[in-house]
Amino acid sequence: MGSKESFSINNSRVVEPLQDNADGKSSATVKQYKVSIRNLDAWYGSKQALKNINLDVKANTATAFIGPSGCGKTTLIRCLNRMHEMTPGAGARGQVILDGINIYDNKTVDPVIIKRRIGMVFQKPNPFPTMSIYDNVAAGLKLNGVKNKRLINDIVKESLEDAVLWDEVKNELDKPGMGLSGGQQQRLCIARALAMQPEILLMDEPTSALDPTASSKIEELVYNLKKNLTIIIVTHNMQQAARVSDYAAFMYLGELIEYGPTNQIFKNPQKELTERYISGKFG
Amino acid sequence: MTRLLDLGLDRIHNIIMDMAKLSESSVLTALGSYEEGTRIKSQIFDWSEKLRTLQEEVADLAIELIARFQPVATDLRFIRSCMEISYGFSRFGRYAYDIVDVLETMGSISDCDKSTVLEMAGTVREMIQLSLHALRSRDKDAAEKLYQMDDTVDALYRKYLREIITPQSQQDKRFSDPRCYVSALLILRYLERISDHACYIGDSVHYIRTGTSSPRR
Repeated sequence: MGSKESFSINNSRVVEPLQDNADGKSSATVKQYKVSIRNLDAWYGSKQALKNINLDVKANTATAFIGPSGCGKTTLIRCLNRMHEMTPGAGARGQVILDGINIYDNKTVDPVIIKRRIGMVFQKPNPFPTMSIYDNVAAGLKLNGVKNKRLINDIVKESLEDAVLWDEVKNELDKPGMGLSGGQQQRLCIARALAMQPEILLMDEPTSALDPTASSKIEELVYNLKKNLTIIIVTHNMQQAARVSDYAAFMYLGELIEYGPTNQIFKNPQKELTERYISGKFG
Repeated sequence: MTRLLDLGLDRIHNIIMDMAKLSESSVLTALGSYEEGTRIKSQIFDWSEKLRTLQEEVADLAIELIARFQPVATDLRFIRSCMEISYGFSRFGRYAYDIVDVLETMGSISDCDKSTVLEMAGTVREMIQLSLHALRSRDKDAAEKLYQMDDTVDALYRKYLREIITPQSQQDKRFSDPRCYVSALLILRYLERISDHACYIGDSVHYIRTGTSSPRR
């Protein structure tokens, strides 16, 4: 990723950082982190899904969101790239500060740009069904007006390499993406996200539909990708969270119960609720 | 509903409790043998071997539980500590055997001055009982008390060692028979090691409860 030539819609500095943040914290404090979430609430209609979430995510780390079904993990990551608000009746209030910019400040921030800077990989692999492997990866670039064929070729190759899929598909790039195995399809989706050169990659249970071998490839990928990206992963698999993440956040009933280094969360959690959940005593 | 992991944790806990009883009996019986001059080497050897076997059983079970259930938090700390505690108990057994072995090797030492050994034995007995109590009641504060008692044991050992190597000791009746001071020094050394392991058991309990080493460690 680091060596990749930037294309013309490079998102990295579309909006200049703000001098001060709305909550009064100096931007210097918040800018230590790639993402800072402040007083975030989210709803589906009248049902509150997130309650006053406050969390800081360091750059080039992998952070795991864990917790029982319905605790708000997926809602939280969908708030991070403003996907949550696309659900009919859904809303959010609070701040998500990306590199010092509140992404919910509609005066200065274009949600489309945010989605480019923050890529997402979903639970089930979802390649574009009618497209070839090549076109799946190139689609985002083309949609954003990139026309330079050589540049697209380079980015497709590098994205597939970064997703550790290139060697398996380099001779069949024109074949349908849907023809790949489940694990390959998920890596294709990761390559598709990487092609947009995101700064953050959100992964919503990316291995829940995969077999153990395919899952370990994705886990290795997370480890390697965080050299260039910040990764936030939602997982139900405690051991996966323990293996791949540097930090872990335990959520319950829409609240952030405990957040800290993964080593501490899994060896010596400070909250009894965290202890009970990760030990399998409820959930 | 009981977790499958709990079945394994119960099993490991029961083995540890069996080891606690057996290791305590081993040391107390060995010390009784020193005090009363009885010969019980073969029985202590059997107990020591049994403790060693149980220690291996704990280690095997701990590895199996980690591999099968990937325990975390208190469960993980408990399993790690059980491995350390079982090692401590097996050392209790080994030092108990070393004590009775000294008695066998030296022959009769009934005329020797046993005051220093008996003084240290009294403290070590208390330490064993305190460490076992800490284990049963998960008393995280026992570690500090055990370390204080260990200071006393260490001081007594060093004092005796200094005494037997000073020139004046030649004139001291206590040091006229090498069987007396060699046996006393060896047994004091074994007791000093038992005392250390009692502290480590206290440390392990502290770690299970808090996730951190005890302040003294």
